[in-house]
Amino acid sequence: MSEEDLLRKITERFGEKIIEAKVLGKRRVSILVSPDAYKDVVRYAAQDLGLEFLSCLSGVDRGDSLEVVAHLGYSMHVLIKTRVSKDDPAVDSITDILPAASLYEREIHDLLGIAFKGHPNLKRIFLPEDWPEGVYPLRKDYSPEHPKPLRGGEAV
Amino acid sequence: MSFEVPIGPQHPIHVEPLMLSLEVEGELIVDADVDVSYIHRGIEKALELRPYIQGLYLVERICGICNAAHSLCYCLNVEQLLGKEAPPRARYLRIVVEELSRIHSHLLWLGHYFHTLGFETLFMYFWRDRERVMDMLELITGNRVTTAYNTIGGVRRDLPPDAEQKLRRTLDYIEERVRYYEKVIDSEPTILARTQGVGILKPGDAVRMGVVGPHLRASGIKHDVRLDDPYSGHDEIPFNVITWDTCDCYARVKVRLRETSECVNMIRYALDHMPSGDYRLKIPPFFKAPPGESLSRVEAPRGELIHYSISDGGDRPYRYRVRTPTLANLLSVIEMLRSRGDYEVYIADVPAILGGIDPCICCSARILITDEAKKRRTITTLDDIIRFSRGRRVERR
Amino acid sequence: MGLVEKLVRKCRARSPWILLFDTGACNACDIEIAACLTPRYDVERFGVLAKGSPRHADILVITGPVTRQARDRILRIYEQMPEPKYVVAAGTCATSGGVYWGCYNTYPSLDSVIPVHAYVSGCPVKPEAILRAISVLVEKIEKGEA
Repeated sequence: MSEEDLLRKITERFGEKIIEAKVLGKRRVSILVSPDAYKDVVRYAAQDLGLEFLSCLSGVDRGDSLEVVAHLGYSMHVLIKTRVSKDDPAVDSITDILPAASLYEREIHDLLGIAFKGHPNLKRIFLPEDWPEGVYPLRKDYSPEHPKPLRGGEAV
Repeated sequence: MSFEVPIGPQHPIHVEPLMLSLEVEGELIVDADVDVSYIHRGIEKALELRPYIQGLYLVERICGICNAAHSLCYCLNVEQLLGKEAPPRARYLRIVVEELSRIHSHLLWLGHYFHTLGFETLFMYFWRDRERVMDMLELITGNRVTTAYNTIGGVRRDLPPDAEQKLRRTLDYIEERVRYYEKVIDSEPTILARTQGVGILKPGDAVRMGVVGPHLRASGIKHDVRLDDPYSGHDEIPFNVITWDTCDCYARVKVRLRETSECVNMIRYALDHMPSGDYRLKIPPFFKAPPGESLSRVEAPRGELIHYSISDGGDRPYRYRVRTPTLANLLSVIEMLRSRGDYEVYIADVPAILGGIDPCICCSARILITDEAKKRRTITTLDDIIRFSRGRRVERR
Repeated sequence: MGLVEKLVRKCRARSPWILLFDTGACNACDIEIAACLTPRYDVERFGVLAKGSPRHADILVITGPVTRQARDRILRIYEQMPEPKYVVAAGTCATSGGVYWGCYNTYPSLDSVIPVHAYVSGCPVKPEAILRAISVLVEKIEKGEA
């Protein structure tokens, strides 16, 4: 299947739920969907188009919104993106379709603060236990600083 | 039964910390979870603060063993953003260093894996042979580990004049040793007893759990990024994708051993057909990348490595996402450690299963064992579990 | 008393047992240190053994930038080691933060957490540098200067 055929199949099936669809390059296709259609598009791609390998999930802080990108496919690589507002970021979890999403959704929740509805075990995975709640390092408004040294920084 | 061992690290070798929590009934494991926060350094955020050329040196140090794969993926990514492609000679030189690094990583893992199973001598033999490969890496790139060979636009140096002859001699040596090791492994009953039938991962589960690399190929699925999504000239070099059907730890050992022979053949082909010309494009070190996004995938020794970046037109990335292969394989470890029905997993199997995915977050610092029936929680180290598992003769089901 | 003390120091210097700890490193320093234990570099001829428990070790070799989560573990290990104990910061990351300077989860250097007796730089350290560091430290132990 070529990149254009793939785009055509998805846009025909989902119509106006697709906000943007383009070919990024050889074997790379990008589709931006509205959050309510995100899970259905992923299910269609995984079950009907044969792209049942989830490579990873990425989270991006776009300034005015937060974006979740699902990367699917062994050979043809499809990026299915969706954007949610920063005030109440919540996206449907896709762990029931693709169990591989479980650790990636935990990571995005930890570092960006997006809640995944329906995830079986949304616990901390990367940040330490004593990290303060509500502080998300990958957001653009977070400025990194070292944890405070214990001995005032001088060699003993 | 309980393990009362002082809290404290680790294994004398390979001490990347990982916390594994096991829920047990006696010795049978019923549930498992992982915590990887010890190793989190905040690299994705740091990459947003550095210009592209500085990011190259940071990305290389995400994992010291697969450093060639990370730097290659980064360079492919930035070259895609810039709309440029490395010259043909650079593509083949990149393949030579990438495959050499795959050989060294597989030999490292094999030695380490047999050490956890109790075969110290095999560990010493594998690492002694690995030193020949490190010598070759040092000859071509200037350093043994974190080679800093790839750069944006090509490679940093050409092959030295005497390198080809020495490289061919080393390749012959490695090929002969791999044949010897395969004979040893297939004829040693203890190795077979401890790896065959242990850590079964069915092909359907492997695909749905997003497993990658030799771990996936050991479950019979023929997927390799070099074949399905070729980069850097891999579509011009013939090679076989090694798979094995038994889906257990023995399959993982066989796949990696045979892949080492394939790497040797690929390097020989690349040396025989090395194009002439430039090895590097002239790109200024500090530049502004045009806005856009790019995605690059590379077959690292442990599996598929993905770098996804978004540029807003500045001299540093707006967002740089790295997904290492071990994170993809970690979920399968949790599944393989859960007993269900006829499939029983004991604490003595933990080193073989955890080691089987070739984790780049290797031997755990700590394992938390919870026994609900006896209301007991103990923290132990993988070192002690390894010693415990060596003492037990695992009866095959 | 002087003679006994000299004898004890000499014996200590002849078998320095090390404990390796990785506080969030990229693994490159660890495999180079592990390569020291293998036949090519063979650090065991100096009496060095890599032990698994802090209670058996004289020298603590730390690699990697100290991540926030690992800080408590380092302190606990350091307290569990019996006197006299020495600490070697192996690699640029342990010495001064290395490439991870500025990351939100790492401390600036190891000596802001525990006292350090020897710094070995390199990214990663070469096995020869580790051998040299151990032999220099051992000389100091024998002379009583560490």
